[in-house]
Amino acid sequence: MASLVLDADEAALEADPGRVARRHGLSGADQQSFREQAPAMLTYRELARMSLIEPLETMFPVLKALLEEVGAWAPCVQAFLDARLLRSGHYRDIAPTFLGWLAASSWGQDRWPFLLELAHAEILEVLVARFPDSDPPEGLHAEPGPADLVVLDGATQIVSYSHAVHRVTEAAPIPEARPTHLVAFRNEEGEAQLLELTPATAALLVQARTRPLAEAAASLNLPDLDAILNLLRDLRRDGAIAGFQTPT
Amino acid sequence: MTQDRFTGVGVGLRRPHLEQVAQLQDHGVPFWETCPENVVGDGGRQHRLACAILDRDPVLTHGLTISVGGFDAWDEEYLRDLGEFLVRTGTPWHSEHLCFTSVDANCLHELLPLPFTREAVRHTIARARELQSRLPVPLLLENITYYAELGAPEMDEADFITAVLEGADVGWLLDVNNVYVNALNFGFDPKEWLSGMPLDRVAQLHIAGHKKFGDLTVDTHGAEVIDPVIDLMQWTLARLGRPVPVLLERDNHIPDLDVLLAERARIQHAYDAALVMTGVRHG
Repeated sequence: MASLVLDADEAALEADPGRVARRHGLSGADQQSFREQAPAMLTYRELARMSLIEPLETMFPVLKALLEEVGAWAPCVQAFLDARLLRSGHYRDIAPTFLGWLAASSWGQDRWPFLLELAHAEILEVLVARFPDSDPPEGLHAEPGPADLVVLDGATQIVSYSHAVHRVTEAAPIPEARPTHLVAFRNEEGEAQLLELTPATAALLVQARTRPLAEAAASLNLPDLDAILNLLRDLRRDGAIAGFQTPT
Repeated sequence: MTQDRFTGVGVGLRRPHLEQVAQLQDHGVPFWETCPENVVGDGGRQHRLACAILDRDPVLTHGLTISVGGFDAWDEEYLRDLGEFLVRTGTPWHSEHLCFTSVDANCLHELLPLPFTREAVRHTIARARELQSRLPVPLLLENITYYAELGAPEMDEADFITAVLEGADVGWLLDVNNVYVNALNFGFDPKEWLSGMPLDRVAQLHIAGHKKFGDLTVDTHGAEVIDPVIDLMQWTLARLGRPVPVLLERDNHIPDLDVLLAERARIQHAYDAALVMTGVRHG
């Protein structure tokens, strides 16, 4: 049944579903049953494939537009289905699984070096919006100090792309080659927000998670610590940062 | 198995309506039905809203992907989370579909029919009993629509469903729209079909819309419920002589909440009328 739904070979099914059943080791009576119900078997194939492909079309509209222009969307989706990675019973996991497959397989990335970044950017806000809720670590404080570490909210993601993939549209799906740094986070209402960061701020947010703020700022040649602390206060107020922790 | 607080016509709780439903204290819906797969492990605003509603209002739970008739191993982590979720919601039972949804660990996200064979009956009974032993509430199985018989059948659908329900000793979530759709596709009388079924096992009904594609009628959950299906619901309620809860399903082309609530009210009216006709008190 997995082959019937996931494999590319629709022509074989249309021509003789009984032969397809035989190929999968089913008995003569079963082969006959498949043969007699050919249109219905094709309907099942179509329904199930629609269930699997629809979330990709919904979640990756720009990627789809880019690939469809050269007839590559359907082969891309088929290559993903061929990988047999749809293990989760959560429908919401189909799109992230596709993203993981793109990363692992490098599909299309010789021709479109920004493909993985583009796909990631398309679902970044959804990944952040639906990240499982969790309590922040205990002992955080609201006011940052030079000796503190930054503790991001569990849903927050800091991403760096080599292309401005967050600016593309279905009409113009090819991104400008420009290093881009973003922080995606949930605000107090639980809604996803996206902010573009300077390279230095992005680096600071990454480094200050494991080394004191003043030390991280110095290593990045950021002399104005007051300005940094103000920015961090804003990010905590907005929800990107869970709080600050003084190392013991 | 029916508990008194679950009567009348409930509605499937869907993401587009969460904001509004969370604000509405007096929505008139006696209970919601939720799919655990859509809530367990999720996060963010929509998740918080869903949890707030499920904590506030009566809830029934209805699973989509456990693959009762399949061969893949149970997802232990999900079963554990599901059990906790069922306890949290206070649902009196949990329903799954009498079908399979995964093959070789691939979840196909489609309700696929089991072969109507003695071997499939034995296998599904064993799986349903095992699943029941892992759940904190009684398990119901729902009859599905099917568009092809997978392999050569040794019995008909009615005998298959009856054998599984009785062999596994579980309750029945009777989807009257699925019976109606199967009757159209396979050419039988739905009332005659139901007359031969173990209606004493029915704990809940489902009702929904469907759509015709060429010669085939498909259970789309994407249209209003048509009068013949409402009539079948009323006929079933009369035969049952009990006010089992009915759940209005809408998963595609989801209308605005007020439109859906108006449809619920229309079906509730039919529900009440059926119970009055048969002298059953409820609510």
